[in-house]
Amino acid sequence: MIWHIIRKEMLENFLSLRFILSLLLIISLFAAGGFVFVDEYSQQLQDYWKKTNKNLSGLSEQSSQLYELAFYKQRIFRKTKTLALCAEGFEKSLPNCFEFDVFTADLPEIKGQSNFTVPHFSDIDWVFVISLVLSFVALVFAYDSICGEKEAGTLRLMLAGAIPRHKVLFGKYFGTMVTLGIPLLIGLLVNLIIVVSSEDIVFDGNVWLKIFTIILLSFLYLSIFVLLGLFISSRTAHSANCMVILLLLWVGLVILIPSFGRIISDASYDMPTQEEFERMKGEAHDQIDQNALNGKYGPFASSFNPDLDSPYANPPARARFDNALADAQNRITEGHHNQMLAQAFVGRNFTCISPVVIYQRAGETIAGTGLNHCVNLYRQIRQYQADLKEYIRSKDSEDPESLHLLSPMKMAVKNWGTISKQPVRFDSVPKFQERDLALGESLKLAIWDIGLLILFNLVFFAAAYVSFLKYDVR
Amino acid sequence: MIWKIAKKEFLLNLMTFKFAVGTIVCVVLTAVFMPVLVSDYQERLKQYNGAVAANEAELRKVKVYKNITPTIYRCPNVLSVFSEGLEKRLGYSAKIELDNIPEMSAVSTGLNPYLSIYPVLDVSLVFKIVMSVLALLVAYDVIAGERERGTLKLVLSGTVARYQVLAGKFLAGLATLVIPLTMAFIVGVLIFEFFPLVDLAGSDWVRIGLMYLASLIFLSAMYNVGLLFSCLVKKSPISLVLGLFVWVVCVIVIPNGSGYLARKIQPLEPEEKLESELKLVAENRDRELKEINKKIRSSWAGSTAGGAFNKNYILVCDKRGLEHWKKSSVLKEPVRIKYADKFLEVKQKHLSNLFKQKYLANNFSRTSPISLFENIMSALAGTDLARAQYFMDRVGMHRNSVVAYVRSKTADFSSLSYFTRSKEGDWEEGQKILEPAVDATNEAERKRVLDAFYKWRDKKIAETPALDLQDFPQFIYQPSLARSFSRAIPELALLTFISVLFFVLSFVAFMRYDVRSD
Repeated sequence: MIWHIIRKEMLENFLSLRFILSLLLIISLFAAGGFVFVDEYSQQLQDYWKKTNKNLSGLSEQSSQLYELAFYKQRIFRKTKTLALCAEGFEKSLPNCFEFDVFTADLPEIKGQSNFTVPHFSDIDWVFVISLVLSFVALVFAYDSICGEKEAGTLRLMLAGAIPRHKVLFGKYFGTMVTLGIPLLIGLLVNLIIVVSSEDIVFDGNVWLKIFTIILLSFLYLSIFVLLGLFISSRTAHSANCMVILLLLWVGLVILIPSFGRIISDASYDMPTQEEFERMKGEAHDQIDQNALNGKYGPFASSFNPDLDSPYANPPARARFDNALADAQNRITEGHHNQMLAQAFVGRNFTCISPVVIYQRAGETIAGTGLNHCVNLYRQIRQYQADLKEYIRSKDSEDPESLHLLSPMKMAVKNWGTISKQPVRFDSVPKFQERDLALGESLKLAIWDIGLLILFNLVFFAAAYVSFLKYDVR
Repeated sequence: MIWKIAKKEFLLNLMTFKFAVGTIVCVVLTAVFMPVLVSDYQERLKQYNGAVAANEAELRKVKVYKNITPTIYRCPNVLSVFSEGLEKRLGYSAKIELDNIPEMSAVSTGLNPYLSIYPVLDVSLVFKIVMSVLALLVAYDVIAGERERGTLKLVLSGTVARYQVLAGKFLAGLATLVIPLTMAFIVGVLIFEFFPLVDLAGSDWVRIGLMYLASLIFLSAMYNVGLLFSCLVKKSPISLVLGLFVWVVCVIVIPNGSGYLARKIQPLEPEEKLESELKLVAENRDRELKEINKKIRSSWAGSTAGGAFNKNYILVCDKRGLEHWKKSSVLKEPVRIKYADKFLEVKQKHLSNLFKQKYLANNFSRTSPISLFENIMSALAGTDLARAQYFMDRVGMHRNSVVAYVRSKTADFSSLSYFTRSKEGDWEEGQKILEPAVDATNEAERKRVLDAFYKWRDKKIAETPALDLQDFPQFIYQPSLARSFSRAIPELALLTFISVLFFVLSFVAFMRYDVRSD
């Protein structure tokens, strides 16, 4: 019997104006999104390779002397992922340039052309179309599924037969989901065809798996709105009232709650200003200067005498002092960076009462884009920095002329020879390569969000079920 | 008759569920948004006041003209609470220097770049999203709904003309929407009163009044969109669905699409080009300065002291030093000033590209009443691009007048007071104190001499009076209401036109409407 209801529900929807309108709107949005992505992606890729090659050629120039490698400021840029097609994650306005040498790392920055006078809009990615437009379409399909039939008088006719209510509810739910799934799948197909047919974009197996996961997530997300629609529809007697409530709920959940993220973030963290940040660094510097005066790093740690034979030259102490300085600066920078990230995350965590935020976050996590991409990349770069340092240390230990004191003072290398000046083979120098997370790892990160999406589904399903059981169909 | 229909319709609207829910949502949201936004403004205001006071204090400490490098801060705009616009996207401060003319820039570092994942939050969000939906909800069934209920043919079977029915419905719809709008504005303004630090000037009240008027025109436009669909179709749900689809296109598709189209049609030049051009100018300047350095190279002795704005100045120096610095200032400063203009030229060229793109995006987005409304609100609130440009123009003019002031006070940098307050003989006086240190036989003796020298130096610093800057040019920045209004007028006219157009279209559709119910 359920199939019967599903079929009837689908046929009724297919013939309606709202279906045709949604189909047109969604397909055109997905098609536009596909074209825009292909166009921008190849441009971004070109840009990325240009900058990355510049960095690599710089690195190769430095390999003529080992110590130069240590002091070379590398600039690593964030590469746009192919899965930005599904969830771009506001990456265009997030920091994309990471500058570091083996001793210190700067705060990530935003580099590249952008117009600060034009507000940054979200790209027309899948998450955008699905979270905003399709969630709305889901409500448009679901709002009159119960109360509409009651108004038309067909609901009591249906229930006068031997069909139990839960079968009617399931039938309506699946019918609406299938109706919604058709424009969604056609849209995605159009989008994927456009993207796959371009030369620059190649999807590997892992990417296809992730795309499939995001599609599943999207159905899970849309199901929340269908169930919400059914719930409100079985709480109200008139379809017009139902639409009003649903619309306001939609505006609240989809537009207003996510907008509160910024304010929550601002209010929950009192971030130091640029001056305070500089002052903190200055204080740390003074503290280490003081420690040096107290002899913590050995005699003459903070002084520098170019003559190695001078009794005032103490390279190991100077190296300890310089490393302590760099470590302190790094600690403060890292702490500040962590605090910035924590501040950005807190707003999102609080706005998780809206399924849109959960869905966006889950989509970004699976696609490996957005804030998580930045966090991940930063972590990988720090790891690379440590690897490079280790490499330089091991190469340095092979040189008998070097003092083997890896410290961030170029003068010490030049005058005392604290680090080897021997050339190294560029092939053997570690180069940074960003590693994408496998699907399993991404899923592990997104598990909470998926759980929350399922929870929302269960809650709204239970609510719709109970309401419909108690619904007065007359 | 129009009034009668309007009255009946208005009263009916008041009793509806959608009106009750819509009004409550509007008022509650305004009541939630406003305190958060106003306290955010208050926080920014506090920071601004602190920065301005610190700047003033530094200015009072200036001892040589060279060190006059004050910073002009942009006062946070109280009406950004209503429409944020570019308020938080642009830099808050501009440094006044001889060798640089400030230009508009993105908000500087120090702010958390990761927060850009969040959308903008201001009160106009409530109006443009919630109230526009409410307008559509009120309008969608005015004609189609009456037809369905069968009351439309009853009304029209009398002597009432169709235009009267439509005009009555329009007036009633507007009157219905005025209630939540007015309540939201009143709640908003009342909340301002709870914040003692926040002070609304007379012109701000006028601006708020104009915003109210703009919101009203916007709501009437959105209502007429709903009305048109109601006159075009026979079933009210279809009218609602059509209206909402148009709404989704206006809220989501057009603003996003216009930004993209503008980027495509008016692409920006790569950032590297700007950087390389600036680098070229800097290299040329450095080359010229190097030439001058070669000419005036000389050895001198002196001592510097920390001055205002974290800049050092020459406390005392020998005769050769005075000569050297005088020559250096006279020759180098005009070069620096000349190159400041060249830097500005490059930056302005780059900025004009950004502005072109911005205006193009604006033009595209004018097809959506919601974007139009947003533009009007930011123009009236004074958070739009034109206001920011005006501010930067003023800052540029102020910088020029500061340069002219320093020039006139120092006779084109030739006066010693440009870089020092030291007089001939000061240096020798210090050296006399320091002399015994050379012959000192033990450490204690040396330390005593050095202490005496430092004491003398400190005394010298304390004795050096601050410059008398009574006639220092004041930064004048008075945004005028008329300018904001003149910027808003074309957009307001367009919005009014859209509203009238949709009403006329509704009228045409209604004249041909088949009023018989099924």
